[in-house]
Amino acid sequence: MLTINLKKLSLIAVTPLAAMIHAPAAGETDMFLPTIHRHITLASTVPDNGDLNPYAVIVAPVSAGKIQQGDVLVDNFNRISNLQGTGTTIVDYRPATKETSLFAELPRELARCPGGVGLSTAMTMLRSGWIIVGSTPSADGTTRTKGSGGLLVLDSSGHLADVWSGPKINDPWGNMVTIDRGNRATLFVSMAGFDVPGPDVRDPKTGHPAVIKEATVLRIDLSIPDGKPPVITNETVIANGFGQRADRDVFLIGPTGLALGSDGTLYVSDALGNQIVAIPDAVTRTGSAGTGYAVAKDGLLHRPLALTTAPNGHLLSINGTNGQVVEIDPSTGRQLCAQWIDADQAQSPPGDGDLFGIAMTPDGKGFYYVADDVNTLMKATP
Amino acid sequence: MGGLRPFLSRYGMSLTIQETSEGIGNVTGGVDQGFEYEGLTQMALQLDTQRAFGLHGGTFNVSGLQIHGRNLSADNLASLQTASGIEADRSSRLWELWYDQKFLKEDRLDVKVGQQSLDQEFMVSQNALLFVNTMFGWPMLPSADMPGGGPAYPLSALGVRFRLRPVDSLTILAGVYNGSPVSNNNGDPQQENATGASFPTEGGALFIGEVQYAYPSLGGMVYSDKQPLSGTYKLGFWYDTEDFPDQQFDNAGLSLANPASTGTPLNHHGDYAFYGVTDQMLWSDPNDEDADRTLNFFARAMGTPEEDRNLIDVSVNAGLIFHEPIPGRGDDTLGVGMGYASVGDHASDLDRDTGFYTGSLFPVQSHEEIVEVTYQYELTPWCQLQPDFQYVFNPGGGVPNPNTGQAVKDEAVFGIRTNIQF
Repeated sequence: MLTINLKKLSLIAVTPLAAMIHAPAAGETDMFLPTIHRHITLASTVPDNGDLNPYAVIVAPVSAGKIQQGDVLVDNFNRISNLQGTGTTIVDYRPATKETSLFAELPRELARCPGGVGLSTAMTMLRSGWIIVGSTPSADGTTRTKGSGGLLVLDSSGHLADVWSGPKINDPWGNMVTIDRGNRATLFVSMAGFDVPGPDVRDPKTGHPAVIKEATVLRIDLSIPDGKPPVITNETVIANGFGQRADRDVFLIGPTGLALGSDGTLYVSDALGNQIVAIPDAVTRTGSAGTGYAVAKDGLLHRPLALTTAPNGHLLSINGTNGQVVEIDPSTGRQLCAQWIDADQAQSPPGDGDLFGIAMTPDGKGFYYVADDVNTLMKATP
Repeated sequence: MGGLRPFLSRYGMSLTIQETSEGIGNVTGGVDQGFEYEGLTQMALQLDTQRAFGLHGGTFNVSGLQIHGRNLSADNLASLQTASGIEADRSSRLWELWYDQKFLKEDRLDVKVGQQSLDQEFMVSQNALLFVNTMFGWPMLPSADMPGGGPAYPLSALGVRFRLRPVDSLTILAGVYNGSPVSNNNGDPQQENATGASFPTEGGALFIGEVQYAYPSLGGMVYSDKQPLSGTYKLGFWYDTEDFPDQQFDNAGLSLANPASTGTPLNHHGDYAFYGVTDQMLWSDPNDEDADRTLNFFARAMGTPEEDRNLIDVSVNAGLIFHEPIPGRGDDTLGVGMGYASVGDHASDLDRDTGFYTGSLFPVQSHEEIVEVTYQYELTPWCQLQPDFQYVFNPGGGVPNPNTGQAVKDEAVFGIRTNIQF
């Protein structure tokens, strides 16, 4: 989750472009990943009900209800049988005490959430204490039986308060970007489920499941009345036409990572296109920019998944098909370096399919991530 | 599972059950021909101490085996490198029972204490585990030379193992275990420890150490998309302080084939061997968007200079592993492998002595080779089918066929294995 204070956004936005251009060799001398040297296993992400496959990682921006500021919330995509799209739990890791607790356990079936509950990488916490998490559900662990899911609104005690679904919401998939103004907020979330068939429907040319180019990025404007759950005031598809497809191993592949630049450009990891694209004017635009324009493609990128932004303004992009995180300077599009944050050679290539969510630590010096093959929350630090 | 797994999960425990079943048989050679059924049910229960009671880095593990069906290698093949890694005496037995605790920052040290099966951690080639033949798992040399075949499936031994990661690319494994998985090294070890619960502590000690280098390693930086392909390299050594019988001479210095022999082999104190293992990716298909399509090489060799007390002085495995050989079948694997076992000079000389003293053309054991071609087809994420072919050259290294007195003829072995995870 990336939460941006609008006052800060305004200040950054008026910074002269010339100053950014002449900044001292940001891509060469100001890399973030080489400062990371330690990778610490913090905790198991398996709750008492045995849910598996951690996806979303967010850091609580405030203390509210059961949550303390700085807590790390992680959701699970699979239930104990390891069927994907069936996980219903969010766990809370508290760095101060190093303890993990169950924050929320949702019912498997929800009348207003088509297909039920299978918690995805789309999760955020608002400063008002509300947690919003995506559901990309399945009955049999494949997209053959998937529903369109929805966005679930939880209070700060982990109780379900509302469910958002509708024609523009179809399998909220990737990590959210949030602009939080207190009583109003804007969410950005990718939708990767439109018309996706089961994994056995193959493209004869590639041998892979058929690619459906209908994935979108949805901007959702919220009003947050005092003491009441957020209410959607507007939904705008700001990007569409991204590839999405079923996958036997990872359930679904589609646009996953989102990160907001200081100039209001939204960066999207287009997993099937193996690229990071930019959607200009994402905060203000009234229509779709299609698939935007490419910022970085191929190179160190290997199926880019979740995105976050390092303190130096560079994007950190999780690779899906190896255990690396890639650092990209979005101003130049240069892929500066990558680091192995999962080198497990039980997979080929090492770390293949192990990584998904990522979130910066509050001090900006490191980041949290999940190793979903061993169901653990990790922390990378200098 | 009737709610058992959720119940266990509430207490930080996880249960895994896998059934391996195969039909396997030889159509040529051997001491007999025909197909047999072999089966193994493995169960493992683990407790995560952090989830159970808040202690970071602790794992309790208990596992059991239910071995059913027959044993083709014993019944038909008389080969050294037995045809299937699940072959064992029919039994229900305890396998491993240990506790592992992590220490130091970044969990750089962990210590495992209890009854352990060394084939789970030592001498392992990750790629070789695909194959059906036993010796791609626990190698031929320790299977033949260690007391009781060593603490490996279906046996195990009490001991303690240290694993240290001083730098991210380097791992050091060191352990000391009871010198034998059984109390009495003279009988059938699986009968001597019929339930796996005899926990022998008498006798000698087995010391084993292994240094592992891996690329990539955690934290490794990459500045170019032209990065080296992944690989691991391991060097190891073991020393067992038990007594080892001479392969040729008795305790009076006569050949064991000599009619005047006491029949009691000369005893030697201690035994040791060195080994090396490599797993190296050779190629990754740049056009495969899933990055599953890779070609990998593995090789493992072990040798001992102590030929007087060892049936096998050198054993080697090598092969190629092709993941996703058919585009779009990302979870299928094709493997081609070979195994080589060399019979030590003293064991060969005993065969010569036997021929001399009996005045017959007694076959002399020398070496045995196998080749294996196997394809693992993923039917569902919880079920794999694996057709398999093996060819055994000079079975038993040239061991005589009791039916003919001639060396056992080369064997063509066909099989199909299923793995089902519950």
